[in-house]
Amino acid sequence: MKRIGFLINPIAGMGGRVGLKGTDGVVDEARKLGAQPVAPQRAAEAMRTLSRMLANAEPELKLMPIRWLTCSGSMGEDILRSSGFAKNDIEIVYTPSGESTAEDTRLAVQRFLGHDIALILFCGGDGTARDICSIVGLKVPILGIPSGVKMYSGVFGTSPARTAEIACNFLRGGLTTVQAEVLDLNEARYREGEWIVQLFHTVLTPDEPMHVQSAKALIEDASDAEVKNAIAEFLLELFQRDEIELVLLGPGSTVNSVGNRWGIKKTLLGIDAVVQGKLVGCDLNERQILNLLAEFKTRKLVLSPIGAQGFVLGRGNLQLSPDVIRAIGSQNIMVIATPAKLARTPVLRFDTGDAALDSELAGDGYIRVITGYRRRRLVKTML
Amino acid sequence: MPETDKHSIEKTVYELSSTGRSTNLMPECDVPETELPVDLLREDLHLSELSELDVVRHFIHLSQRNFSVDGGFYPLGSCTMKYNPKVNEVCARLEGFAQSHPLQRDDTVQGNLALMFELQEWLKEIGGFAAVSLQPTAGAQGELTALLMMRAYFRDRGETGRTQILIPDSAHGTNPASTTMAGFEALEIPSDEHGNLDLAALRTVCDVSVAGLMITNPNTLGLFERDIETIVQCVHDCGGLVYGDGANMNALAGVVRPGDLGIDIMHYNLHKTFGTPHGGGGPGSGPLGVSEKLADYLPGPMVRQTNNTEKLQFSFSLFTPEKTIGRMNSHFGSFGVFVRAYAYILQHGAEGLKQNALHAVLNANYLRELLRSVYPLSHDRICMHEFVLQGKIEGSSVRAVDISKRLLDYDFHPPTTYFPLIVSEALMIEPTETENKQTLDAFAEALKVIAREATDNPEILHTAPHTMPVGRLDEVRAARQLKLRGD
Amino acid sequence: MSYLPHTESERRAMLNTLGISCMEELFADIPEHVRFPDLKLPLPLSQMELEKHLRELAGQNVNASSHECFLGAGAYHHYIPATVDYVTSRGEFFTAYTPYQPEASQGMLQAMFEYQSMICQLTEMDVTNASHYDGATALAEAVRMALNLASDERQKVILSSAVNPHYRETVRTYLLGSEASLIGENAAPGDMDSLVALLDDQVAALVIQNPNFLGQFEDVAGLAEKVHQAGALLIVVTDPIALGLFQSPGSYGADVVVADGQPLGIPLSFGGPYLGILATRMQYVRQMPGRLVGETVDQSGRRGYVLTLAAREQHIRRAKATSNICTNAGLMALAAATYLATLGKSGLRRVAELCYHKSHFAAQQLAERAGLEINPHKPGQPFFKEFSVQLPRPAEEVNRILLEDFGIIGGFDLGSCYSGFEQQMLIAVTEMKTRAAIDRLVDALAKITV
Repeated sequence: MKRIGFLINPIAGMGGRVGLKGTDGVVDEARKLGAQPVAPQRAAEAMRTLSRMLANAEPELKLMPIRWLTCSGSMGEDILRSSGFAKNDIEIVYTPSGESTAEDTRLAVQRFLGHDIALILFCGGDGTARDICSIVGLKVPILGIPSGVKMYSGVFGTSPARTAEIACNFLRGGLTTVQAEVLDLNEARYREGEWIVQLFHTVLTPDEPMHVQSAKALIEDASDAEVKNAIAEFLLELFQRDEIELVLLGPGSTVNSVGNRWGIKKTLLGIDAVVQGKLVGCDLNERQILNLLAEFKTRKLVLSPIGAQGFVLGRGNLQLSPDVIRAIGSQNIMVIATPAKLARTPVLRFDTGDAALDSELAGDGYIRVITGYRRRRLVKTML
Repeated sequence: MPETDKHSIEKTVYELSSTGRSTNLMPECDVPETELPVDLLREDLHLSELSELDVVRHFIHLSQRNFSVDGGFYPLGSCTMKYNPKVNEVCARLEGFAQSHPLQRDDTVQGNLALMFELQEWLKEIGGFAAVSLQPTAGAQGELTALLMMRAYFRDRGETGRTQILIPDSAHGTNPASTTMAGFEALEIPSDEHGNLDLAALRTVCDVSVAGLMITNPNTLGLFERDIETIVQCVHDCGGLVYGDGANMNALAGVVRPGDLGIDIMHYNLHKTFGTPHGGGGPGSGPLGVSEKLADYLPGPMVRQTNNTEKLQFSFSLFTPEKTIGRMNSHFGSFGVFVRAYAYILQHGAEGLKQNALHAVLNANYLRELLRSVYPLSHDRICMHEFVLQGKIEGSSVRAVDISKRLLDYDFHPPTTYFPLIVSEALMIEPTETENKQTLDAFAEALKVIAREATDNPEILHTAPHTMPVGRLDEVRAARQLKLRGD
Repeated sequence: MSYLPHTESERRAMLNTLGISCMEELFADIPEHVRFPDLKLPLPLSQMELEKHLRELAGQNVNASSHECFLGAGAYHHYIPATVDYVTSRGEFFTAYTPYQPEASQGMLQAMFEYQSMICQLTEMDVTNASHYDGATALAEAVRMALNLASDERQKVILSSAVNPHYRETVRTYLLGSEASLIGENAAPGDMDSLVALLDDQVAALVIQNPNFLGQFEDVAGLAEKVHQAGALLIVVTDPIALGLFQSPGSYGADVVVADGQPLGIPLSFGGPYLGILATRMQYVRQMPGRLVGETVDQSGRRGYVLTLAAREQHIRRAKATSNICTNAGLMALAAATYLATLGKSGLRRVAELCYHKSHFAAQQLAERAGLEINPHKPGQPFFKEFSVQLPRPAEEVNRILLEDFGIIGGFDLGSCYSGFEQQMLIAVTEMKTRAAIDRLVDALAKITV
């Protein structure tokens, strides 16, 4: 028996068509502007595809008992029923009191966690993903049917049908889980004209190797974990060669994987320091970093851009103040990213709050990003 | 009810096997037998036991489950699936070629050596290079050979700090792989909005750490690098070498000589440009052409013409260049492929090769024109021998893979799918010069019908193909539940 | 001669569609000063003329059909059953490409799967890839694979001098980009003790050939244990025909088995294309280079085959580990599969027996009637289908007389590769040699060497 938590944020995506940059907190305004619900159709497309796939699957999967834990009405139940899942396989574990809100999403996820679930399948956008992550943490993988206005987070399938395919392969046992970043635009600030995507959480999500033809794209076919290992391996080789004493590791899952490869338990969202392969400081603040820099002559700072919008510095890592960056030296900053991440991140940005420093960091319009073992890519920068 | 023939599975040789059945081909032993060393013998050998008819029928059934150029249109981008002339097969099977041993003395294989020498000379002429070695067995081996030669060249000059190989982001996947294999680091350079190498980006990285640039021209978007001469100059100015990936030479043979553009070293794919069959995945052949300064580093043995003045009895001989990086394989490379390529060039001559390139480019542009209103083009400009479409239909959930698989139902081989990586949902189409207009029209028509289906009945695409011996295969399962033998 | 299909009116129509007046207009992106060069190539020939010309060229070659051939040294004149050329001549196979679209390539994929299966049986290894270019490159890739599997400290590979010299040269070239070093080649061929003595904690692998380049069986008893105790891998180069009768490398503990598959139905063809065989143990499958075909099912549960573990091709731990192999030797693997299926279990054994008996008969006759010393460096050591003889004069001279006066392609001049083996010739006797042919060789050598 496999249990899957299923929920829909029925209002997700409504803001987009009417020019709002999200639906968080402005659902009434969106309605006034004539917005129609989007999520139910997207969810229905995915679930109809999934139920058909399961019906046509090989016997082991076809006969696998699956129990759907969901919410009443438009938050899940309706779509499951209309998509061809049997009534007996659906269990309502949460009933929202009125119009569904972010709080309802969180409460529903809490209920899901009371059962032994294998996956949370949801329909929504970045806001929904954030709400789910705030409860689920790294306990259970999540997978999103894309329906929001913004989908920067790495937990969404590229289309409802593709999401169904991934869910199906996951049930089949064909996929592993990897850590992904949940990002969201600060919507209040965005509506005022500021573009601030923040890294909010790291979650688990089913990992599907990129759909590419093998020989034509040998490297990109490697799994996420293998690529990150290769990056870590190359960094290690470079640090040994240049006899680096102090390595500062920035936030995010890519850098985190580097830490893992080295056997270090890194904090996910903080700046950690490594000396001689040992962790000497976690979640450091500006002062602590400056103290360490005074102590060690050769140093490197490893950073990875925030997916999609490309900030290497200036979002979610305020400890790395202009003073800190200057003390480290811009030539000592090493940017790493998987090719898959770079594929959705065409331009890298720096925003330290110090324009002169930003322009120094951005180089002459391009910087080198480490993307694999002895492999770098030249990526455009923008101020 | 038995399923139709086409859709039933074909048993493996082991499943067809019947204990004790055999085909006795071997003669009686006509010499006194020697006692076998008992302690060295194996106990059992589990091979299939079949009659000759079993074997023939089995492999014929397998052949019927395989798409081929002889069977249909095969527009696989960057692979140049053109017609393979049958007379070349006859030639390669001539006993004098097929039964000659690679370790025979030079004077007993003058025919082979003459053929290799002339092929070297012709490839030099076609590519504009000072020397050609036929050694590399495939394109990827040609790349590796070239990089090892570049390494040796810089070592000799004491320039060991040159560790970077620049590679455009549209490059073939083998380029970075060969780079790390040769001990270099790969630095990928982005493409600009026209699909060409970003010159500004290139300029920021050209310094003394650069050993060279690997460039495919026309690139994998099917576009000629307009700034090729500036690019080459840029790399030469910082002391680096330029490697040309000759995979797309079918657009250029007889049209422009890469050597004339300043390319220092390039591999040819005889199995693409020169019409030798791809063999279902090899054998290939990837000869290497180089400029004067690299000639001494080529892998041997190569063939040279010997002066006949001193009454030598033969005129062609094997030699190994002075500073050679060494041997790349057991003997001379894919000799059987040389015979076919030699025959191909000799059938065409200079004008014929040029006409091939012109028509390859005409066919590609014609097809591009027929399809540009139906599928988004990666770059809307004149292409060379191939072009890249995006397998996307507005308002439909279908992806490039669905379109590719559906093409099989219309008896066309799909284009190269999801490559190059810099184009989302890429479908890379290379029709080649040997396809007639009716075929091109029919292919375009099929893609148009598929585009309509994508809107009206996406399901039929998602679940395609429907007419092949098997449906869409579960690749995830293949990788997770490894079954690599069945005996 | 041209294979272009367009008629003038079709071409005109196509140009009109494009809104241009001639094909040359499509090449405006190419710098004008180098566009459309005047290539100096021979004038084109018609098919008839071409075939005649190539027959003439081919006719200039002495070959194993025109002469009795006793030359081996890694490439052998074995019988090729008619089924092999029949199958590999099918356009459905040879005009296809690498099976990127599995649904349209089930034939080639299943043939490769069967090839993998049969080679696993032959070598008694767990897993075989879908081919390399030839034996030499397969060995080079195997050595790189072993270096990848080993820890960073293990950067040496022990290479027996009884491994085919061309293979050793190829391995050396393939390692140019790495820090690894090759040791052990100074030891005399067949001196296993000296090789074993080199094992230490810096060695990644030990490479032997068995039967070795000189045709003899190596003493492998307990070898794998010693190699494994030292933390290294045992790589064995072998002859696939010998495995029809003799113990497989898998049975004596090899970790990687390499061979040239040429003897399995592939013509001599002046050295290529041949077939690189590489097989290993399951625990190393992810570090194994080359393509792999795996079995799976389609949407309705029907059996099918796909290229699998593609990510593994580029499992990049270190530069020395990667393989760039793309196009391999698919058609040659198909030939080998057809060969093995045709001969089957008893047939392959029969070929191996005939090679053994005929080569031993030849050796015994040469000793008795020509008075030549057999395998002088290690007399009495068992051999398979090749053996060396000590000549009283240079092998090259002997070979010239053999060819000119007796119409025989003589053996391989060992002195050209091995010091201490001057005036020794390596003679290969396969099932193709009749008693009469062997007698002719013996008579000739008896005359030449008196």
